[in-house]
Amino acid sequence: MTGSGSAPLVRLTGVGKNYGNVIALREVDLQVSAGEVTCVLGDNGAGKSTLIKIVAGLHRHDTGTYEVEGRRVSLASPREALDLGIATVYQDLAVVPLMPVWRNFFLGSEKRRGLGRLDVPYMRRTTRSELLGMGIDLRDVDQPIGTLSGGERQCVAIARAVHFGAKVLVLDEPTAALGVKQAGVVLRYIVQARERGLGVILITHNPHHAYPVGDRFLILNRGRVIGHHTKDEITREELTALMAGGAELEQLAHELEHTASGAAAARELAKGAEDLRPPPAP
Amino acid sequence: MSQAVLKSAAAADERLARRSPLRRLAGRPEFGALLGAAVLFAFFSVVADAFLRASSFSTVLYAASTFGIMAVSVALLMIGGEFDLSAGVMVTTGALVAALVSYQLTLNVWVGVVISLVVTLGLGLLNGLLYVRTGLPSFIVTLGTFLMLAGANLGVTKLVTGNVASDSIRDMDGFDAARAVFAADLDVGGVRVNVTVLWWLLFVAVATWILLRTRTGNWIFACGGAPGSARAVGVPVARVKVGLFMGVAFTAWFSGMHLLFAYSSVQSGEGVGNEFYYIICAVIGGCLLTGGYGSAIGAAIGAFIFGMTSKGIVYAEWNPDWFKFFLGAMLLLATVVNLVVRRRAEPSR
Amino acid sequence: MKPMKGAGPRPAVAMTATIMATALVLGGCSGSGGKKAEEEAASGAAPGAGPRLKVAMVTHSGPGDTFWDIVQKGARAAATKDNVELLYSADPDGGKQAQLVQTAIDQKVDGIIVTLAKPDAMRDVLAKATAAKIPVVSINSGAAESARLGALVHFGQDETVAGEAAGEQLKKIGATKAVCVVHEQGNVGLEDRCAGAKKTFGGPMENLFVQGTNMPQVKSSITAKLQTDSGIDGILTLGAPFAATAVDSVKETGSDAKVGTFDMNKELIASLRDGSIQFAVDQQPYLQGYLAVDELWLLKNNGNVVGGGRPVLTGPAIVTKDDAGTIAPFADRGTR
Repeated sequence: MTGSGSAPLVRLTGVGKNYGNVIALREVDLQVSAGEVTCVLGDNGAGKSTLIKIVAGLHRHDTGTYEVEGRRVSLASPREALDLGIATVYQDLAVVPLMPVWRNFFLGSEKRRGLGRLDVPYMRRTTRSELLGMGIDLRDVDQPIGTLSGGERQCVAIARAVHFGAKVLVLDEPTAALGVKQAGVVLRYIVQARERGLGVILITHNPHHAYPVGDRFLILNRGRVIGHHTKDEITREELTALMAGGAELEQLAHELEHTASGAAAARELAKGAEDLRPPPAP
Repeated sequence: MSQAVLKSAAAADERLARRSPLRRLAGRPEFGALLGAAVLFAFFSVVADAFLRASSFSTVLYAASTFGIMAVSVALLMIGGEFDLSAGVMVTTGALVAALVSYQLTLNVWVGVVISLVVTLGLGLLNGLLYVRTGLPSFIVTLGTFLMLAGANLGVTKLVTGNVASDSIRDMDGFDAARAVFAADLDVGGVRVNVTVLWWLLFVAVATWILLRTRTGNWIFACGGAPGSARAVGVPVARVKVGLFMGVAFTAWFSGMHLLFAYSSVQSGEGVGNEFYYIICAVIGGCLLTGGYGSAIGAAIGAFIFGMTSKGIVYAEWNPDWFKFFLGAMLLLATVVNLVVRRRAEPSR
Repeated sequence: MKPMKGAGPRPAVAMTATIMATALVLGGCSGSGGKKAEEEAASGAAPGAGPRLKVAMVTHSGPGDTFWDIVQKGARAAATKDNVELLYSADPDGGKQAQLVQTAIDQKVDGIIVTLAKPDAMRDVLAKATAAKIPVVSINSGAAESARLGALVHFGQDETVAGEAAGEQLKKIGATKAVCVVHEQGNVGLEDRCAGAKKTFGGPMENLFVQGTNMPQVKSSITAKLQTDSGIDGILTLGAPFAATAVDSVKETGSDAKVGTFDMNKELIASLRDGSIQFAVDQQPYLQGYLAVDELWLLKNNGNVVGGGRPVLTGPAIVTKDDAGTIAPFADRGTR
């Protein structure tokens, strides 16, 4: 609605973060607008989780600027981020497994009527209809959420963020622990959120999950950006190659050639690197 | 829109009807304990002649209530994912503070009662803050305060009175009124019922309401079940936990007042070891040791089982040497039942 | 140390609390009982002469035990009188108690007072004390092993003999069926008392186990027992605080059971006087501490050994309504 036309919902410019003398992140630019999915890709230790923690308000950035709808911010807590409409769904921290679905749905934003009483019927009803609206048909919203499948649990967490007025969804590896079919459920859901006009930041190390849903791709390696592309600039294969670190594989092959026993392995690797290398630009 | 919602809800209910009511009941945390209580009750009714008398039942209830009042708050704390090993001696501390303050300064006993409340709540706050600030397991933190309190109970009492028990405050101003509140014997249809039984039921009702019908209750479950997830959605985990420790302190104060006004003087070495019985009550009642699951009613049933067993053995005139064996067996059984419940709730990954 | 500070509440809260507390203190004085009433009576003692001795006393007492508190008071009184420096330490664990004795030997004390609850654990360390020419006096339990382990004298009460006295007394007050309330399961001394009482009581007597650290449980267990068997007309408790609770239970159930107990405290005197408790079997713990220190002083200053190698019994002394008045001031002081 407001501001979505002019400034992006979230824009990071030249953001860096140090933990003591370890540089976790440097000079990272990232942006996401309404109705857009920005994918952050990278291997373990690439700096994805540091980046997400900055966006989510768990950590403060040390350098660069963080703007929300054109306004510079420095977030001190996840609560502040939530208040600005930035909701984060973590891979492991999405839900409380032993609690019923509806309690999970409203956790932290419980609906109350006088005297601090919970409005249980309302919350049950809303949970059911919200999930139904997202295509999840639950038999019983009173069942512990732990009895749902991994994909459904992620979806509930996402639906919750959407329901409570999130403008930007930050999804931390939502498909990492899921099977192919379950991952599909979550990805479809991400597309739905985008169509509702939300901005989505999707963190993943799987280019096959990122490519179909993403509008922009940010590839991180060792705390630096090694690629920032819109969808029309890059193919799925190029993205995969960038992710797998084609250049690094090539170098490893050279090193291995110097040892006799490693030569055979090096040839294999070189071949692999060749396959991965992005084709020359047309 | 709302029509559609209602319709779909109705449709869901149809599907739900296929789950038998018994199965639904079996899903509740206190189910195992309820089953155990029923079996034990039937069992003792058969083997002990005196067990079924109204007066005997009142004795069982009294025994259950003195454990049950503490078990309620300990259960909440366990649902919130923490332990309090200082709960047992804190009862004694509460009683001693009131007794020493009133007697030594020759004050109305109600002054001692209020000061004791302040001190005990302060101790609960201390437990909570130590836990939150240090990040150490509550098991360790409260083990520390447990030992310190046990030592302070003895040390301060000895220092102040010169003996190891507090002086009797039976003849002091306000004693009778305080006794009426904390330790009165009521006549209910010709049967003496100790007022602690009523307090116990009240505490259980309040705790159940908090757990199931307030935001705080939701937060307690979340803090114990998955503190990281709770924090991520904005639940003030630290504050909830500190509050729970203070809840235990509050019931410890109450139990301490009962102890003092029922027996008018307090042995400084009392209370050690009771903390485990409170935890046992909560566990028998369906609380998970790992937190996030349980109920106040379950803890009450646990306390009832405890009271029934400990007195039932007396009514049945059995060799008391076996008391602890019986208790241990029951604890194991309860834990196994809970394990099964948990496995049902969390499908294997 | 009171672990209360450091958890400072917010200033406003603290201030409100202070104001409230002050108001309460000012407005809430008690007109009866309390410390003021107690302070109306006081007395003193005079110290003795002789060379300064250092005596170590090592017992198997757990913390917070009234009984050992009185033993210690007796020892301190004698120490003051005899110009003895008394080092008191205790550990219920046999091995640790032996270590404490060892530290006393290392300190080159002039005498050692020990309890022999676990004689085997003490054997080696007492041999070392004898080798170091440190005189040893044993007190409380261990009368049979005392001489064998090298102790000069033993001051104590034979639990079985005390139990027998209690049983006789119970019979004398007209009880025909009794329970013996054991407040610590598996304690040999307590079991001996019950066994002794059973021997002389004549009628049926059963043991009832209660959890001594939890008074409401003690009460409900005794109540349950009385409800089960209305024929019970005698209750023997093995510690003074439990006697008062037994009286509560008797009142509650409307039973006519008579209560007798082991050991003393100052509340007990009032109960003896008003007849709610019939008798107390006192093993006079004060004597055990006092005589042990005195004996070591006598040995050093005059070469005396009491008892001719036989254990010296400090009890049982039966206290009833008749002597309650005489003993009251001493119990008030916490020495009986």
